Amino acid sequence: MPLFADATDPWLTLLQFTVIGLTKGSLFALIALGYTMVYGIVELINFAHGDLFMLGSFVAFTILGLFGVQSAGDPYADAGFVLLCFAAAIPFCAALNVAVDRVVYRPLRNAPKLAPLVSAIGVSFIFMNVGLFWGGSQDVNFPNLVSDDNLFGETAKIRFTAKDLMVIGVTVPLMVALTVFVKFTSLGTAMRATAQNPTAAKLMGINTETVIATTFAIGGALAGAASVTYGLYINTISYQIGFQNGLYAFTAAVLGGIGNIPGAVLGALIIGLVVSLGSVYVGERWTSALVFAILIVILVFRPSGLLGSRTREKV
Amino acid sequence: MALLRIDNLNAGYGPVNVLDNVSLTVDAGEIVAMIGANGAGKTTTLMALSGIVRPRNGSSVVFDGDHIESLPPHEIVRRGLAQSPEGRKIFPRLSVLENLNMGAFTRKDRPGIAADLAKSFAMFPILGERKHQAAGLLSGGQQQMLAIARALMARPKLLMLDEPSLGLAPQIVVQIFEVIRDLNQQGMSVLIVEQNARMALKFAHRGYVLETGRVTMTDAASVLLTDPRVRAAYLGE
Ligand SMILES: Nc1ncnc2c1ncn2[C@@H]1O[C@H](COP(=O)(O)OP(=O)(O)OP(=O)(O)O)[C@@H](O)[C@H]1O
Ligand SMILES: [Mg+2]
Repeated sequence: MPLFADATDPWLTLLQFTVIGLTKGSLFALIALGYTMVYGIVELINFAHGDLFMLGSFVAFTILGLFGVQSAGDPYADAGFVLLCFAAAIPFCAALNVAVDRVVYRPLRNAPKLAPLVSAIGVSFIFMNVGLFWGGSQDVNFPNLVSDDNLFGETAKIRFTAKDLMVIGVTVPLMVALTVFVKFTSLGTAMRATAQNPTAAKLMGINTETVIATTFAIGGALAGAASVTYGLYINTISYQIGFQNGLYAFTAAVLGGIGNIPGAVLGALIIGLVVSLGSVYVGERWTSALVFAILIVILVFRPSGLLGSRTREKV
Repeated sequence: MALLRIDNLNAGYGPVNVLDNVSLTVDAGEIVAMIGANGAGKTTTLMALSGIVRPRNGSSVVFDGDHIESLPPHEIVRRGLAQSPEGRKIFPRLSVLENLNMGAFTRKDRPGIAADLAKSFAMFPILGERKHQAAGLLSGGQQQMLAIARALMARPKLLMLDEPSLGLAPQIVVQIFEVIRDLNQQGMSVLIVEQNARMALKFAHRGYVLETGRVTMTDAASVLLTDPRVRAAYLGE
């Protein structure tokens, strides 16, 4: 966690924690997108999504372990290991998400909405226990491969590190790519069509099950990318990171308007700011409570979120 | 040989059976109308043909020489059976153009798709004028035009239309039926379901009367138009 350089200037403190908040927020966004896209298409709150993210970080951790990587070494070798982590965690999370949909949620597609929801909670517990078995009950140190050096120089008043840059460098291109895919490709348009009216989509000749599987794959892939980024950024992982980050990301998705892709990104940036600024001005131990409070307030006063349509024309 | 041949179609929802051995044919080049009261099972018939409602055992649907009664919806569209559904079911937050492109989802021939888009805009100029707007912003009549144009983008062999006149002003209804006749004169086969029986029978070659899931009458449309029972029950005379 980068420290702010000048604790005496309140405006610098604000600026510093805004930067940290937006960086964290962009990481939450990758996770939030998986919640919101899946909800948009099958109206399921995939409670296992945060835990999928957690398992992704253990895949990366295990791979680094296999190569005996414990701390930063040769920068080129480290870059290769980092790429290897992404190359493993992304398809792992994508495939696992698709598999869970295929085996657990798909048979319940026409069942009352409560059935897949309860199943998702069950899958969440299973994943969490796998994580507990895999990594133990204690926090584990994720190798610190990306530099904490301030890119502006160590004497600068604002810290923006190579780590922060890495987070932005992973999250922003992925969000741009997702937007282009959803907006401009035939499959992306079919995804939006299926979300708006699945029966009509079928009548267009769209294989909606393929579209749903693609959605789970993309959501899983983004969670996989987020999991490696998280490990490299925070450097501590445990079987519980899925719960906390999942809660933040889920709240972000609801805040933006669940089912709404730009909404999830906006919501995540806001939650990032709340978590970061909350830790300075309210206190670190209150951040979870703060986020929970936001979740409840939205659910009560504006369940459609900031960008969601107030009326859903779902039948 | 008939383009579409339905024999003993049975379908319903859960334990409820709606269709009771419906049999019907559509020949290539024909307009066939299916009329019937509220809840007779007209929409269920079209949805069963499209594979949205699963036909039950014993049903036989042969389209263009192949059995399609157990195929998934996307395979049925690919074979050339498309429908403009009841209530239009356009994608409200997609643009008009995106809606039309979704109609062509099963096709890969880009030049052909572009040509058909141009045809849609020639047929319904208002769709061309508003192509970049969200479809949900169109008026009811324009949405109906979009639903028909979207179904045509699949370049179907048989176009099914479910209540294309529902809720539209009379002059729009006439406009839509004239488009249907033009399409037919260019060779399109049409199966049309209507509560507006007079209009449908005026434009159709043959007709079927559906009552509580059963075909109770079938004849040339001109004969049905003069049949006293049809006149009493469906033409309000
Ligand atoms: N999704 C559904 N679930 C259960 N029952 C349904 C469903 N859709 C239709 N039904 C029932 O099936 C029967 C036939 O309905 P259908 O919609 O096919 O009639 P229709 O002839 O198209 O009527 P309308 O002229 O009102 O459109 C009705 O009794 C209706 O209540
Ligand atoms: Mg109907």
